[in-house]
Amino acid sequence: MHISRRVFALAAAALLALPLSACGSGEDGGGSTDASGKVEGDITFQTWNLRANFKPYFDGLISDFEKKYPDTHVKWIDQPAEGYADKISADAAGGTLPDVVNVSPDLVAPLARAGLALDLDKAAAKYRSEYLDGAWASHRIPGMSGTYAFPWYLNTGPLFYNKSLFKEAGLDPAQPPKTYDDLFADALKMAKQSGGKVATLANVPTIEDFGRYGVELMNKEGTGFAFNDAKGVELLTRYQELYDAKALDPQALTATPESSGKKFLTEAVAMNPGSALDLDNFKKQAPNLYKNIGITDQITSTGHVNMYVMGVMVNTKTRHTPAAVAFAHFVTDAQNQMSFAKQVAIFPSTAGSLDDPYFTEEDGTDETRVRIAAAKSLQNAVNYTPVLFSDQMKTALRNEVAKALLGKESPKAALDNAVKACDQLLQQQG
Amino acid sequence: MTVTEERVQAVPRAKDARVTDEHGRRIRIGELLWRYTLLLLVLALTVGPFLWQLSTSLKGPTEDIFSSPPSFLPEHPTLHNYQRVADTIPVWDYALNSLKVASASVVTNCVGSALAGYALARLRYRGRRIATLVFILAMLVPVEGIIIAQFTTMRELGLNNTLIGVVLPGSVGAMNVLLMRNAFLNLPYEIEEAAYVDGADVWQRFLRIALPSVKGTVAVVAIFAFMGAWDDFLWPLIVLSDPSRFTLTIGLNYLHGTFANDERLVAAGTVIAVAPLIALFACLQRYFFRGVGEGAVKG
Amino acid sequence: MAGVSRVRRQLPTSPWLFAAPGLLVVGAFVLYPFVSTVVNSFTDRRTLIPGRFVGLANFRELIHDDMFWTGLRNSTLYIVGVVPALVVLPLLLALLVQKNIPGITFFRSAFYTPVVASIVVVGLIWVWLLDERGLVNSLLETVGIGRIGFLSDQWLLLLSAMAVTVWKGLGYYMIIYLAALANVPRELHEAAAVDGAGAVRRFLTVTVPAVRSTMVLVAALSSVAAFKVFSEVYLMAGPSGGPAGEDTTLVMLVQRTGTGLTGRVGYASALSVVVFVVTVVLMLLVLRADRRERT
Repeated sequence: MHISRRVFALAAAALLALPLSACGSGEDGGGSTDASGKVEGDITFQTWNLRANFKPYFDGLISDFEKKYPDTHVKWIDQPAEGYADKISADAAGGTLPDVVNVSPDLVAPLARAGLALDLDKAAAKYRSEYLDGAWASHRIPGMSGTYAFPWYLNTGPLFYNKSLFKEAGLDPAQPPKTYDDLFADALKMAKQSGGKVATLANVPTIEDFGRYGVELMNKEGTGFAFNDAKGVELLTRYQELYDAKALDPQALTATPESSGKKFLTEAVAMNPGSALDLDNFKKQAPNLYKNIGITDQITSTGHVNMYVMGVMVNTKTRHTPAAVAFAHFVTDAQNQMSFAKQVAIFPSTAGSLDDPYFTEEDGTDETRVRIAAAKSLQNAVNYTPVLFSDQMKTALRNEVAKALLGKESPKAALDNAVKACDQLLQQQG
Repeated sequence: MTVTEERVQAVPRAKDARVTDEHGRRIRIGELLWRYTLLLLVLALTVGPFLWQLSTSLKGPTEDIFSSPPSFLPEHPTLHNYQRVADTIPVWDYALNSLKVASASVVTNCVGSALAGYALARLRYRGRRIATLVFILAMLVPVEGIIIAQFTTMRELGLNNTLIGVVLPGSVGAMNVLLMRNAFLNLPYEIEEAAYVDGADVWQRFLRIALPSVKGTVAVVAIFAFMGAWDDFLWPLIVLSDPSRFTLTIGLNYLHGTFANDERLVAAGTVIAVAPLIALFACLQRYFFRGVGEGAVKG
Repeated sequence: MAGVSRVRRQLPTSPWLFAAPGLLVVGAFVLYPFVSTVVNSFTDRRTLIPGRFVGLANFRELIHDDMFWTGLRNSTLYIVGVVPALVVLPLLLALLVQKNIPGITFFRSAFYTPVVASIVVVGLIWVWLLDERGLVNSLLETVGIGRIGFLSDQWLLLLSAMAVTVWKGLGYYMIIYLAALANVPRELHEAAAVDGAGAVRRFLTVTVPAVRSTMVLVAALSSVAAFKVFSEVYLMAGPSGGPAGEDTTLVMLVQRTGTGLTGRVGYASALSVVVFVVTVVLMLLVLRADRRERT
């Protein structure tokens, strides 16, 4: 299953500054926003890299829907992980976007701005109460009214750590860091004890790290970025110390989530964020590591862990609005999300689902323990990544952070530059 | 006809009983030794990485692929990883689609660029220089910036989500046209002149005389076209929506996204992607090197 | 009679008929989209939002964009690093495989395999080879040199990408040289050998002058390709272009700014136009230098 972090920062951009009229092309080409008619017709449903692992689930889902509404026919297409935003861009620009599309909040924003995503507060308000409030809100876009996708699955996960590396460094493997102060102190000690061979962290701080650290990412109105405040500078300064001490992996500047996962797997790095999905991977790929795996909670200064949200949006230009809305709801309803969650380590975004015994009762396995802890933390989790944070902005932040870590710029100057660049992109892209 | 024979001879022939060079002279043992040493060294550099990939793909789940010193050969070779690739994606269906696209591209490129190359090299008409310039400029356009415009055009033609749509933009490559042009330019005028005097029309001269003399270049174009179509990722991804029409490169990307941490599986995927090309090249290499002898790629 | 057949042969539509399929395809799918790129470069168009005419604003912005200069530097460095290697090494390789000794056809084909493989596959293979725990580093450690972070240092990354470009291009240009060498009269070599010239002397005084025009061609082709480099660097340094984006090339910048749902199509188009103009100029320079030396 592909729950890439890159994706979540991928598209959303600066759509605020522009008046709605600039996004005009939404109304031509038919399609109505009225979802109250008869549920019938052929619709197309696009998912994002789910076919390889979950084909039977989706085949079943679709045949259930077609049984419920015999006048419908659903065609399922699945796109590979790479190039998803490019694919959607071409389809959106060319008018060939499928009727029901699997999206992340940052992909929804530009589509909604261009009038391509159906406002569900209008078309599907009656379903709203079925979902967790936080999840429903994650597809709202600053500067626009309305909600533009059904929330689908959520994901969050613990922090994994390598007990034997902790022990070798003279740290107590039963006492993993709980606060940022602990984390940085342990990381420095680990680097010192191993002579710079073992790093504790493998990734440079991203926008959600700043959020978790308690930095205000955007101003209240959502019209500009604000992560260059004292708190942000503090976080970056501490990361810089880690980098100098090799407590942050020297390859972190070019790391991807995959490569840092691999580093943890090969025991070159002592901690890595992950999800219950990874446990299985550790078991298969690195049995030795699995024996020494430690699991602890995400570290935050805010008390809210980070979560990722996937959504399902309806194309405004669909010819069969009632069927498309009905299907999008069907995919994301409590029952179907629950059965999807039992297939793979993700979490339903429907109200009450997380109280299911599946997410509350221990059975002694690590998988269940991770699942229960994650479900519990999701009750007040936050999707820190701003909906408007585009791929280009992500690159700008990453590059400025790297300059600070390399000592080419002071943390303050780097963050000032990043905020400036992101604000500019916010204006230009809108 | 004598001309073509001479050209063929320029390409060294298969082995002789004695160890001699292309002029039939004996080569000293010492020289042979250092030549083979160098050849093997370059061989290790060029083919080694592929073999390492092959070796990785044959290693079982229990084998350490990160070991130092590295183990070059799998201890317990297994096809398990290939089986897993086939379980994850419909490799054969995708390979068939790729084959269709690549074959179509070979045909259109060979025909289209032979025709256009002939027109640029041999026919006299106003605008020939401009036509040549069009192809040269097309070769210089950075394609990364034009893909959405291409898609919009394709949709207007109603060819999005078809294999034809995948083939079309690369169906006559500008580079291939220029290669054919050079091949035709290098043919002496005399052989066509004789036919011209005999009253053969343009089509007859093209089909019966000019084209057979540049067979090697056609093989070069065929390989380039096959490679280009087989290897392309972004364009097929953009044009196609229906998974049953996906090509192999798109399919293999599912592996990379789903099993990014599994080097063995990714290695198996890359071997599947490369093997058909190497096989094709192995089959065509005789013609290919003849094409080189014609001076096609000489400019 | 002759008059009739002449008329038949000179049907005015005929040459265009020959060129038509090629011109149509290239026109519709390369040049026409490129013309729209040129038009877009004067607008502030974004992926989903039609643009307004902004004159030269994109080009003015470009001059003040640090990333543009980084991209220009890297693309230029790429020419400097790659072109000399691709002009000289394949020539030496061609000389090596020119002699018709047993098994030579096998070696020739084998040396060509990197050209045949797709760049994505080549990228995957080399990332795996140059990984901190990959084969190259295992070997380096075994011989006592220790591991090198090929994929984490700004300059080593660029060098590694160049090495991959050269590795993949060797066979291609070797073939071009092989064709040229086939036309070098052997007598020249013999005359030089009789004069007592050593191998190096003969290479410089006989071979090089004889294949000089081919070397120019290789220089032209490889510098245009080097300037437009994208895949190798993208695959090895990652989408954000290595540490702090310092390995970004111009075409990577085109891709990064212009694609996705929030792509700034106008600005990316301006970058494309610059890349195009530079390659045209490069091509002209090389050809002109060649012509001047020839006369």
